[in-house]
Amino acid sequence: MATTVIDTIPAHLKPFVPSPTPATVTTEKSTIWGWLTTTDHKKIGTLYLFTALFFFLVGGLEAEIIRAQLGGPNRHLVSAETYNQIFTMHGTTMIFLAIMPLSAAFFNFIIPLQIGARDVAFPRLNAFSYWVYLFGGLFISIPILFGHGPNGGWFGYVPLTTKAYSAGINIDFWVIGLQILGISSLAAGFNFITTIINLRAPGMSLMRMPVFTWMAFVVQFMVILAFPVITIALFFLMMDRFFGTQFYEVAAGGDPLLWQHLFWIFGHPEVYILVLPAFGLVSEVLPTFSKKPLFGYPVMVYSGILIGFLGFGVWAHHMFAVGMGPVADSVFGVTTMLIAIPTGVKIFNWIGTIAQGQFKATSASLFCVGMVALFTIGGISGVMHSSPPADLQQTDSYFIVAHFHYVMFGGSIMGLFGGIYYYFPKFFGRLLNEKLGKWHFWLTFIGMNLTFFPMHFSGMLGMPRRIYTYDAGQGWEVFNHISTIGAYLLAVATAIFIYNFFKSRVSGDAAGPNPWGAGTLEWTIPSPPPVYNFAVLPTVTSRYPLWEGKQADIESARINQQSGKTAEQLGIAIPYGTIKPLLAAAFMIIMFSGLIVGHWLILVGAAATVLALYGWLTSPLEPEHH
Amino acid sequence: MSTATVSHHYSSTGLENRKIAIWAFIGSECMLFVSLISTYLIYKDRSVVGPYPHTPWTDPSTGHVYHAILNIPVTSASTFILLMSSLAMVLALSAVENKGKPQRNLGERILGNSKLWLFMTALLGLGFLGCQAYEFTSFVNEGLTIKTNLFGSTFFTLTGFHGAHVTAGVIWILTMLFIDFKRGLGPADALNVDIMALYWHFVDVIWVAIFTLVYLIR
Amino acid sequence: MIGSHRLRRLAPLGVAAVLALALAACAQSYPNSTFTPHSDLGRSIDFLWNRLMFFGTIVFVLVEGALIYVVIRYRRRSEDVTPPQTHGHVLLEITWTLIPAAILAFIAVPTVRTIFQTQAPAPANSLVIDVYGHQWWWEFRYPQYNFTTANEIYIPKGRTVDLVLHSKDVIHSFWVPQLAGKRDAIPNHTNHIWFTPDSNMATTVWNGFCTEYCGDSHGEMHFRVVTVNPDQFASWVTRQQAPGFFSPPPAPAAPAAPAAGAAPAAPAAPTPAAPTATPAQLAAYILPRAEVPDYAIPHTPFPDAIKFDDKLQGDPAAGEKLFVGAGTCNACHTVAGNPLAVGMIGPNLTHVGSRIAIAAGMYVNDKPHLSRWIKNARLMKSGVLMPTLGKGQYDPQTKATTPSGLSDQQVADLVAYLQALK
Repeated sequence: MATTVIDTIPAHLKPFVPSPTPATVTTEKSTIWGWLTTTDHKKIGTLYLFTALFFFLVGGLEAEIIRAQLGGPNRHLVSAETYNQIFTMHGTTMIFLAIMPLSAAFFNFIIPLQIGARDVAFPRLNAFSYWVYLFGGLFISIPILFGHGPNGGWFGYVPLTTKAYSAGINIDFWVIGLQILGISSLAAGFNFITTIINLRAPGMSLMRMPVFTWMAFVVQFMVILAFPVITIALFFLMMDRFFGTQFYEVAAGGDPLLWQHLFWIFGHPEVYILVLPAFGLVSEVLPTFSKKPLFGYPVMVYSGILIGFLGFGVWAHHMFAVGMGPVADSVFGVTTMLIAIPTGVKIFNWIGTIAQGQFKATSASLFCVGMVALFTIGGISGVMHSSPPADLQQTDSYFIVAHFHYVMFGGSIMGLFGGIYYYFPKFFGRLLNEKLGKWHFWLTFIGMNLTFFPMHFSGMLGMPRRIYTYDAGQGWEVFNHISTIGAYLLAVATAIFIYNFFKSRVSGDAAGPNPWGAGTLEWTIPSPPPVYNFAVLPTVTSRYPLWEGKQADIESARINQQSGKTAEQLGIAIPYGTIKPLLAAAFMIIMFSGLIVGHWLILVGAAATVLALYGWLTSPLEPEHH
Repeated sequence: MSTATVSHHYSSTGLENRKIAIWAFIGSECMLFVSLISTYLIYKDRSVVGPYPHTPWTDPSTGHVYHAILNIPVTSASTFILLMSSLAMVLALSAVENKGKPQRNLGERILGNSKLWLFMTALLGLGFLGCQAYEFTSFVNEGLTIKTNLFGSTFFTLTGFHGAHVTAGVIWILTMLFIDFKRGLGPADALNVDIMALYWHFVDVIWVAIFTLVYLIR
Repeated sequence: MIGSHRLRRLAPLGVAAVLALALAACAQSYPNSTFTPHSDLGRSIDFLWNRLMFFGTIVFVLVEGALIYVVIRYRRRSEDVTPPQTHGHVLLEITWTLIPAAILAFIAVPTVRTIFQTQAPAPANSLVIDVYGHQWWWEFRYPQYNFTTANEIYIPKGRTVDLVLHSKDVIHSFWVPQLAGKRDAIPNHTNHIWFTPDSNMATTVWNGFCTEYCGDSHGEMHFRVVTVNPDQFASWVTRQQAPGFFSPPPAPAAPAAPAAGAAPAAPAAPTPAAPTATPAQLAAYILPRAEVPDYAIPHTPFPDAIKFDDKLQGDPAAGEKLFVGAGTCNACHTVAGNPLAVGMIGPNLTHVGSRIAIAAGMYVNDKPHLSRWIKNARLMKSGVLMPTLGKGQYDPQTKATTPSGLSDQQVADLVAYLQALK
């Protein structure tokens, strides 16, 4: 343990001591134009947070409709066609428009703060990523309101999604929308890789980075390597649908499995992209509320990297029923079992973090403990799928639905909620109400288990997936009924959260720089941080500067927490706000929509995009400084 | 203790941000082309109808005889042109980096002329694109379009993606050439030219892979 | 006190036992359960499942137990205490890496063995059934016996059945949970799944489902598998091999009296008639309706919007004429033995009268349901190719009302014909 000179440190900068509550909350007045032109990672992170929460509610509404329809046998609340659009959009919305952007909210806001940087490497590219996400999200979500929603499942298997079997524009919106969203993620990937490699404060070696930033780092590599593959898969489908190529045309010798392989080579890393950020958040929250460092930091880092690698080697476990042959089945079964090892090790290390500590149950820490508990269940069912012969009963049944909701909801969403409670004060300078937060947690925990645990049973008792209704007397009614009740409970829990979120933004208790007594760099600056983040760039000598840091670390923390100066006073150049990233994003979406509207629009949109890019690339990022 | 301001070029690695970003971008593009090439290879020999790349084919319904579509000699020439463009790019970068140093003889003046080598790179790149255009139109005239069969779809998509990347590169080079004429390029621009060169060499390497796997290997 | 301590430790076990018993006792109300295998493949899978459950339960109890323990035992009791700042423990890391690896080895080895055993080529004397998935029904051909049927198969107990899976359109998946795992039916691919139904199992019906999302009515693409004794199977085969026959035979139509003063009517051109049944064919085996378990009989209600006069009596001979006439059924359907009825787009109807269900297991095979199905199939099942045949019926695909079509009497005649094709 580092030797700090305790007596000369201000009380609130001693390890584990929360900062005092400030008298007022510093609120910066922002205009709408300010938001539209922002290049500040903190504002962009806030935009991601709000938009992602909105789409989470949209996906949740779709889920409630699904559960209402399936609550009893032979119901007809919605027709089969409508149901198929709703379950497609539920998956698409939750994965691409809710969970990934919620993670992005934290990447944006927190990574630069955790590594001691003033912003990301490419602030305008960062804004571009957000606007592409927003416009792409609207592009893919609006059609369902007109009955033309994507209806091929979130995984869009061919030949069902080829023109021959999906003649309408539903799938066109899906294909184009996903391409657009992919560009958003790719741009962010390049941005954060560069940021994490290159903008760490002096002394912050890679093995001193907080684990959240490490997990985000692994995720960005997975993004830039996995998304090109689905780009190509979608491009082939787009070419088949719009220009008559033969990639997936059975009559020409096309192989439907080509789509499946390409999709899952992306799709499996994608699920680790969805869960690793939540792993990172849990790795920040649990140490803070246990008052001790993360147990096994190097193992947590290496296991994350290993998951990133192995994640590219397990994709065909989604295809155990397609008849790949015994060798391929065996290989992918074994690799899938192998990936359970680094994942399981993380669970044990989180338990080890709490052990011997002084654990405090707050909304944040409860959600993270809930994440560990529920992800364990999802991981166990995952190992059960890894045996191909056993999976022949499990795959495409509700047993799988149970598994992935345990890891996506019980894993990603619980961890992300924990992160929201933890970082809300840093974002907004106020605390979320703890009492409401605990209600939110318990109702969510109970509701989640009520909804998804019975699905293990209905699945193994023969209920297939993606069916809009089921007959009476098949042995599934009780389980579906319980699931539907659980879903309604989740709606209540979420409503409490939304109420808490908006109320606390306005009248929550004020939060100082470090309301939790945490140890990492983001807590050495005010809440919310000034536009420049750090008045002085910190030098870092340990993984937990506020717990294990040397005198210099504490000194810079004190300066940064109390600075109160503007960027001009400190001589720090701030990137200009500019509308060009938004324009480039908008024109790009217009260009893509030309595939549906008319090919002339592709050219017009392309030209406009190029012009916007030209203006962007030839204007300076920030004022010249000496 | 850190100073109040940070050097604009502060970085943890000593490298510029753009350098790291271009390498990440190239890594990502590798996966893009690996997917395209893999699809081509998987679908090789699976076309139900011809024309085919290396073997002749008689259409049973019309009796028309299609010869093997790929033209190795022409494509070897275009490959050579593209490789030479990479050489020109190396010289262009070197010229930009060494701008301002004394040029003692004609040879050094030629080698140090950034405008010349940027122009040559773009010209050779356009030459490659011209060969591709000639190839594609002759294939279409001979009966192979992107819709004809699996070979047509995979071949034109793969080479089309590559050609689009070459085109983007040529536009980039011409822009750089324009700036060289407008205000001159010097050592301060070396990083930007370096990044462009990295992209260009990457596109060239991908072509070598495509040429080998599609044209040369049967 | 020792007694209560033991009681407290045993209590959870007791609860678990009661629950397990309750579940087991209710086995028969879970007609699609994967927990009660009835074939060799089912048992191989069940063995792996039990091993997975065994280890899964152990891991669950240990991990969740440890988590609950640390959260309670190490809860914060005072704000002034700084806990020991442990950073890790190498031996612990190694241990909890190696133990899961060992557990996985116990799973991997039997897994790989089972994969190679179950994916070896099917035994040479297997019963071969070619399965063709269509949107949204199942075509079954028995190449060794030279007949085609749809949506319902009989298989003999104790004999290996090799299901050869194809698709005519999109990807489907063939699943009978109580008999075997599933396998996808993919266009341009031929997949196999083979298993041997137990010799000593019940003669009964098992539900089958499509388990790969295949469009509008993926949720209504069911089939039935009937496991019968070998002699019953042989008998059923002879029925299926026979061309469509009337059972019971239709009453002969009375000749129409010529109108006074009119020239005698020319004799009508004979239309090919379904032959009447031979005694052997009438005696050929089908599972008696009384022995069909309730879970295999669909309960899907038909839409109220389709009105039909259920009291109408139909004439099978008239229905047979309509089948190749105004009904245009022969454009899509085959009835073996009728050279005019060779349509290949829809299910084979040669012995449709003896099937448990219609519309790929969606509706029970009785007069009210079949009548409405013929009258307006599109309103009964989303997205189907079969046209809305009734007159004045709303077609949800064209979003228009049919100006012309079959009358209720004509439908009743067709129903009588089809129900006679046993």
